[in-house]
Amino acid sequence: MRFLLKRLGFYAVAFLVAATFNFMIPRLLPGNPADIMLANSGGMIAPEAREALMATFGFIDAPLHEQYFAYLGSIFTWDFGLSIKFYPMPVADVLTQALPWTLFLTGSALLISFSIGTLLGVLAAWRRGQLTDVIASPTALALQSVPAVVVALCGLYFLAVRNRFFPTSYAFDPKLDPAWSWEFISSVAYHGFLPVVTLSVVLIGGYLITMRNNMIGQLGEDYLAMAEAKGLSDARVRYAYAARNALLPSVTALALSFGALFGGSLITEVVFNYPGVGNLLYLGIVGRDFPLIQGQLLIMTLAMLLANLAVDLAYVFLDPRLKRA
Amino acid sequence: MSDLLRTFLRNRKAAIGLAIVLAYVAIALAAPLLAPFDPIARVGRPHQAPSVEHWLGTTRMGRDVFSQLIWGTRTSLMVGIVAGLIVTAIGTFIGITAAYFGGIVDDVLNFLTNVVLVLPQLPLLLVLAAFLGQVGPWAIALIIGLTSWAWGARVTRAQAMSLKTRDFIQASAMIGEPTWRMILVEMLPNLLSIIGFNFIGSVIFTIITEATLEFLGLGSPLALSWGTMLYNAQTASAIMVGAWWEVLAPCAAIVLIGVGLSLMNFGVDEIANPRMRTLGNVAKALRIEKRLLRQRMQEASQ
Repeated sequence: MRFLLKRLGFYAVAFLVAATFNFMIPRLLPGNPADIMLANSGGMIAPEAREALMATFGFIDAPLHEQYFAYLGSIFTWDFGLSIKFYPMPVADVLTQALPWTLFLTGSALLISFSIGTLLGVLAAWRRGQLTDVIASPTALALQSVPAVVVALCGLYFLAVRNRFFPTSYAFDPKLDPAWSWEFISSVAYHGFLPVVTLSVVLIGGYLITMRNNMIGQLGEDYLAMAEAKGLSDARVRYAYAARNALLPSVTALALSFGALFGGSLITEVVFNYPGVGNLLYLGIVGRDFPLIQGQLLIMTLAMLLANLAVDLAYVFLDPRLKRA
Repeated sequence: MSDLLRTFLRNRKAAIGLAIVLAYVAIALAAPLLAPFDPIARVGRPHQAPSVEHWLGTTRMGRDVFSQLIWGTRTSLMVGIVAGLIVTAIGTFIGITAAYFGGIVDDVLNFLTNVVLVLPQLPLLLVLAAFLGQVGPWAIALIIGLTSWAWGARVTRAQAMSLKTRDFIQASAMIGEPTWRMILVEMLPNLLSIIGFNFIGSVIFTIITEATLEFLGLGSPLALSWGTMLYNAQTASAIMVGAWWEVLAPCAAIVLIGVGLSLMNFGVDEIANPRMRTLGNVAKALRIEKRLLRQRMQEASQ
């Protein structure tokens, strides 16, 4: 319990740091974002909106610390101001619509790549030097250094443009209305296939290598020799004994990979024109929609921190020593 | 030093990786000699397919893709190395300082490192770049360098902590060696493999991240790099009109340098930690054992 409370405190501070950073960027850099936006909008923004805009950035007529507290208050009321690009929709609404798609994308990719990568890592270490290892390990190593942009662009070209196996954009057929029907769900799966595979390919190498290295670390241990001497089956020794202990550092690596996960999802969404929050960030940057950009950054940070918290919970479950501490 | 190099080269993965990286360095240095055309001049019709004259075809602007690729190697490699140096310097400094001094210094630095690690880096970089406007390759190198040190700091700290408890370090502390000597002469050389690992990893990370940022249109469109090539290809809808060469050429360049660098890193890892060695010797031993077994079986059956 104390462990979790400590982590919660840490995440609260980390979020505050990110929020402060978000507050500082427009103030430290030259130019007033509200005026830049007004200039770029070519008269599309009404004067009333300018007031709201200035307020969004906390550019109210007040000393810096008062601006800061007003800004923090607006975060907790989920008030990120109005979007420029999707004017007059509030940023919070725009983000809420996009968030499920990103969660679907990152969640499925994480599940697929972590389970397959970890399983292959266990096998590669167990049969070191044999076929699984000789093929899987160098491939994973190569995949680890292939950027998401490259995988996404190649997937788009070979599987969606050159051969029209999959659609090139959107999360589902625009002709359909969202509903819990077989037609809609299959359309979502069909449109999500390439983005999910892209993201999984980017992530899988790292998980495989980490698990393989952890497993190799366990191989010489006495408790494995003991398990084998007891006459347990090979699979039982491998999964219930060695892999269970090797999994712990892998879970730490999982937490560290969330940056790559969200970054990769951003790129994948842009390339496949997938309507998630990453694509929104891109559209926001291209359209100089600063309230949207700042809101997105906060949502991303929150997602990262919650994902890390989930890993902490998994850690307590996997390592009983933490429950006592 | 030559011993170190020999050990490094004896590892086949490391040697292949080094060869790939050296080839890239040679291409970057000899770019003016190797590139057949001026990379920013219109030298052909738009979107010409690869031919004898234009090995990798032309862009929509009629520029030679092969020449752009060669000049781009220079930018991408330089950005990677510069940012890699910044990342490694900051990470090593913070990691060793935290581990050596311990106590409150460690608490503060470790907390800082962990905070940076849980922030979403790519979105943050995007936002920074967006507020700065379109920036050149050097600015990108600086931004990446200043924001990506946390992972290196963390692993260096862990390694330095375990080093600190060794007898020879304790002994040097007891005979009263000054702090700078303890850090630079006693600890640093023993951390070389982790520092090298961190540096190579950072170079890969920077090359990938630079290409990503530029692909998203946050770099200067005038710069000649693989990322800008991808950006120009994207804005020219090269994929949709079937000009695959414009997209696949920079992709291949990025993948190959990434593979080369990570092969080097794999080699460093295997040298520092022999248990990680894959294949070579273990597989060979297994094969020999199998052959012996088969021979014995045959002899027995005769």
